[in-house]
Amino acid sequence: MTENKLLYVHPAPVRVWHWINAAGIVLLVITGVQIRFIEMFDFFSLEEAINLHNYIGFLVIADYALWFAFYMGTGKIKIYFPNPKTFIQDCINQIKYYGGGIFKGDPNPHHMTPTNKFNALQKKAYLGLMFLFLPAQMLTGLFLWRVKKFQVYIDMFGGVKIIDTVHVLLFFFFAAFLIVHSYLATLGHTPLGHFKAMFTGYEEEH
Amino acid sequence: MDEPSQLLKNKRIFLLIFFFFLWSPPVWSIENNECLDCHGDTSLVRQQSEGMKEGLYVNNSQFILSVHNINGITCVDCHADIEKLEMDKDVPHATSLKSVDCSKCHEAEAKAYVNSVHKKAGGKGITIPCYACHGYHYVSNLEAESVIDRENGFCLKCHNPEKFHSWLPQMDTHFNFVECTVCHAENVPLFVNLRFWDFSKKRFLSGTEILTALKTNSTGFMPLIDKNKDNKIDADEFEQMVFKLRENNVFGTFHGELIVDLVPVVHHVNRGKANRECEQCHNPISPFFEDVVISLNKEDGDTDRHVVDRSVLSTYYVNHFYAIGGTRVRLLDKIGVAIVVGGISVVFGHLLARIVTIPTRTRRKEKEKEKKYGF
Repeated sequence: MTENKLLYVHPAPVRVWHWINAAGIVLLVITGVQIRFIEMFDFFSLEEAINLHNYIGFLVIADYALWFAFYMGTGKIKIYFPNPKTFIQDCINQIKYYGGGIFKGDPNPHHMTPTNKFNALQKKAYLGLMFLFLPAQMLTGLFLWRVKKFQVYIDMFGGVKIIDTVHVLLFFFFAAFLIVHSYLATLGHTPLGHFKAMFTGYEEEH
Repeated sequence: MDEPSQLLKNKRIFLLIFFFFLWSPPVWSIENNECLDCHGDTSLVRQQSEGMKEGLYVNNSQFILSVHNINGITCVDCHADIEKLEMDKDVPHATSLKSVDCSKCHEAEAKAYVNSVHKKAGGKGITIPCYACHGYHYVSNLEAESVIDRENGFCLKCHNPEKFHSWLPQMDTHFNFVECTVCHAENVPLFVNLRFWDFSKKRFLSGTEILTALKTNSTGFMPLIDKNKDNKIDADEFEQMVFKLRENNVFGTFHGELIVDLVPVVHHVNRGKANRECEQCHNPISPFFEDVVISLNKEDGDTDRHVVDRSVLSTYYVNHFYAIGGTRVRLLDKIGVAIVVGGISVVFGHLLARIVTIPTRTRRKEKEKEKKYGF
C-alpha cells in the first residue's frame, strides 16, 4: 500500500472538460433517443427534446473548444498521437492484456505518466474520437440545427438524409462508447480508481 | 326551271337564313382582342379620386397562360356588366364596373371562405377579395407550383411568418418544405409531392423531361414503372425508376414537399386553429406522410400525379426531404441497436470473464505473497 505513488495526470481544465463533456454526451444521447424514437419514449415533448438537445450541443461544442485550446496551448496534444515505431507492438501487447492477461492478474503493460497517460489502444480510440468522430458529430449537428441556413453545405454532402445518417450512426456509436468507456474506467487498480482520479487529477502509480 | 321548284328553293334559303339568325346570340359577343385593343396598351391608366393612378394594362402574353384563358373564360365572362362596346365613345363601356363575382363559378370556394379569418377581417373594415390573394388576370394553375411559389404568391404577400413562429424549431426549413395551409387550414387533404432535381441541369425536371428521360409518355409511365400493377409505386419500383433515369444519363435526387390538395376547403383558414403538435408530424405512423405522389408537370401548368408508397420517403432516393422521427431510415435503427447491443455484450462478456477468473487471480496473488514474504 505504502509503495503507491500519486501522479498528477489530469490537470483542472482537462477534468472540467471531461465532466462537462460526459454529462453533455449523456444528455445528448437521452434527448437524441427521445427525438428519434418519439413513438416509443415520452421523457420530453419533441419541442422540449429538440431545444434541450440544441442547447447541450452548443455546450459540448464550447467544451470541445476548451479541450482543444488547452491541449494545443500547452503542447500536450501530442499525448494523443502514438509512436509509429512502437504503436503496433504496443497495441498487440494491450490487446493481449485486456483479452487474457487481465484475467490472470498480469500487470498492465502500459505505465501511465503525465506525458504518456494513454495506452496504445486508448491513443488509437481517442485520436479517432477527438479528431474525427466528435468533430463530425458536432458539424452534422450544427447542420441539422439549421437546415436552411446550411443548405449549401448539406447539398454538397448529398442532402439532409445523408447528414442525418452520419449524425445518427455516430449517436449510436457514442451511446455504445459511454457504456464501454464507463466499464473500462473500472479496470484500474481499484474499480473506482480512475473515476476518483478524474475528480482529483491524481492517479495512483503502482 | 319550273315555278314550283323555284318556290321550293326560295323556301329553303329562307329557312336557312331564319335558322342562322335563330341560333345566333342576341348580342354579338365581345372578343378578348377587342378589350386588348385598349387594355393591351401599357400606358392605359385611370385617375382615381385620391389622385392615384390605377393601371388598366393587361399583359396578354401572361393572360393567355392563365387558367381562365386556358379554360376558355373570356374578359366579359368575369366583367359581366359589360354587355356591349360603344366604340364611338372615348371609353366604350361604363367607367366604373362592378367587382368581379368569382363565386358565380367558384361556389364551393366562396362557401368555405365565408367563415375564414380572411373573410372575418371584414368586421375590422378590411376587405380581402379573392383577387387580393389570387391576383387579377394571371391566375395560374397551382397544381405544379412548389411550396415557395405557393407561399410567395399568397400568404407571404401580407403575412410575416417569422413574427409568430419563433417557437418553431427549424422555422425556415418548415417554411421551405411545408405549405402554410398544411397546418393552418383544417381538414384539408394533404400529401408529399416528389419532384426530381437534375444534378447537371441544376433545376427540377418537368414531367415531360422525366418522361423523355424514361423513354415513355404519360400513358406509358405507370405500365413502365408499376410492375406489380397495384397503381402504386413501391420502394423497389421507385428504385428501378431511378436506375432507368441513370441508364439514360439523368442523375439527380427527389425532393419532397408537404402540400395541400387544392380543394375548396383550403380557403377555410382560421385563427387559433393551427396545428402546433410536433408529434403529429414527426412520427413514423403520422397521417401527414400517408399520401405521397410523384408529380409529372405538363407545359400548360397542369400535372399528372402518381401514387407512391410512403416507404419511399425513408429511402436514400429522397434525400432532401426528412422529417425527424417521421421519415427516418429504419435500417439505421437496426444498425444502431447492433452497435449498442455489441457494446453491452463486450462489457458483460468481459465482466463475466473477470468474475469467473477471480479464483485464478487470488491464487496468483497468494503465491506471489508467499514468494515475497515467505509464508
